[in-house]
Amino acid sequence: MVLHTTINGQAVVADVDPSISLAMFLREKLFLTGTKIGCGKGECGACTVIMDGKAVTSCIIPVMRADGANIITIEGVAKTPTQLHPIQEEFIQQGAIQCGFCTPGMIMSAKALLDKNNDPTVAEVREALGGNLCRCTGYVNIEKAVFAAAERMRKGE
Amino acid sequence: MQYVKANSAAEALDALLKAEGKAIICAGGSDVMVDYNAGKIAPEMLVDVSRAADMQGIKIANGKIEIGAAVTLTEIATHPEIKKLYPSLCKGCGTVGSLQIRNSATLVGNVVSAQPAGDGAVAVSALEPVFTVLSKDGVREVAMADMYAGFGKSKIDNSAEVVTKVTIPVPAADEAAAFQRLELRKSLSLPMLNAAAMVKVQNGKIVWARITMAPVGVGPVRAQEAEAFLAGKEMTDDVLAEAGELALKNANPRSNPLRGSKEFRIATLPVMVRRALEDCRAQLQ
Repeated sequence: MVLHTTINGQAVVADVDPSISLAMFLREKLFLTGTKIGCGKGECGACTVIMDGKAVTSCIIPVMRADGANIITIEGVAKTPTQLHPIQEEFIQQGAIQCGFCTPGMIMSAKALLDKNNDPTVAEVREALGGNLCRCTGYVNIEKAVFAAAERMRKGE
Repeated sequence: MQYVKANSAAEALDALLKAEGKAIICAGGSDVMVDYNAGKIAPEMLVDVSRAADMQGIKIANGKIEIGAAVTLTEIATHPEIKKLYPSLCKGCGTVGSLQIRNSATLVGNVVSAQPAGDGAVAVSALEPVFTVLSKDGVREVAMADMYAGFGKSKIDNSAEVVTKVTIPVPAADEAAAFQRLELRKSLSLPMLNAAAMVKVQNGKIVWARITMAPVGVGPVRAQEAEAFLAGKEMTDDVLAEAGELALKNANPRSNPLRGSKEFRIATLPVMVRRALEDCRAQLQ
């Protein structure tokens, strides 16, 4: 089937097998391998992308649901090829990364939240990131990074 | 596998009927895609209703709340009017899976997937919901009690029928509903137990009570003994505690290696039911 979608601001037209997931399409057809597939069941959040403004687990989204949709992946988060987004910078600054496998999903969940609400409460941050599992960091620094990024985004960064 | 994006419920039914049992409905996809990827189901066609125009939106009018079958759990959990009318429904819908799951999964899907303790399903089950179902024979209305055929088995045939909406009554000023959940952690975890209640109280006495609980049988189970006991009584601490104990008469919990033994669930279910009733009482004060 022919898929018409927008990924990281670019129009994409592709012939796809409709039985694959959006995550597989991103990784195997577009080579956007920043989106990770962890559990493959929507239970770990590593494959999180933003679809029409909302965080979704792309491993259980049928690829054709992206038809007509606006998708942002981790590759579309940085402002320019040499300038990272404040969320990415704060993940580095706050030591919110160890192995890094969950990081793209964490950042996408954080971005989906902060794009709509750049002054979130602790409960709102935890709800937004509750669907992303990390087995290394213990989450504390991740939460710190999101609040630090929120502060910078409030200043217009 | 083929894929059809249905623009309306009628289009979805048409696609199902043409496929003669080889197609299934996919709304959020959070169950269907997982089962498909695991090889548990092998439909030849997915009929995606997530963008069906007549299955969207929440309408509140004439004493009724109509929730389209394509409405996501997030839409319900964050809906300003539903938050005021039924905070319990927002709480139940707002605890399924994770935010990412709730952003695509639907309340109707939570019922049709027929898992024993869907949080959205249990929360809505106390609100006397009616499901509107489209099939080749026309439109029919189905009560909650007639939605479940077994563990993970719905009476809705998702290869020949389309649930288009769920309708619940707007609560009267003397009615309140509550939802309680016991869990291992706040996200990405199925409930160890959940319970919902709705009561109508006039002149200090309960006119009727509806209590549902899970996972203690097939789908949300009504605590009929407790409901009958509550009718005509005042909502005292003793009465609510007694109702909690009576809930066990209709409950048959099983042991689960992760989410509690039968004995643990029997010991805690009365507390969950009592807390749901206490929450109703607090809302009415």
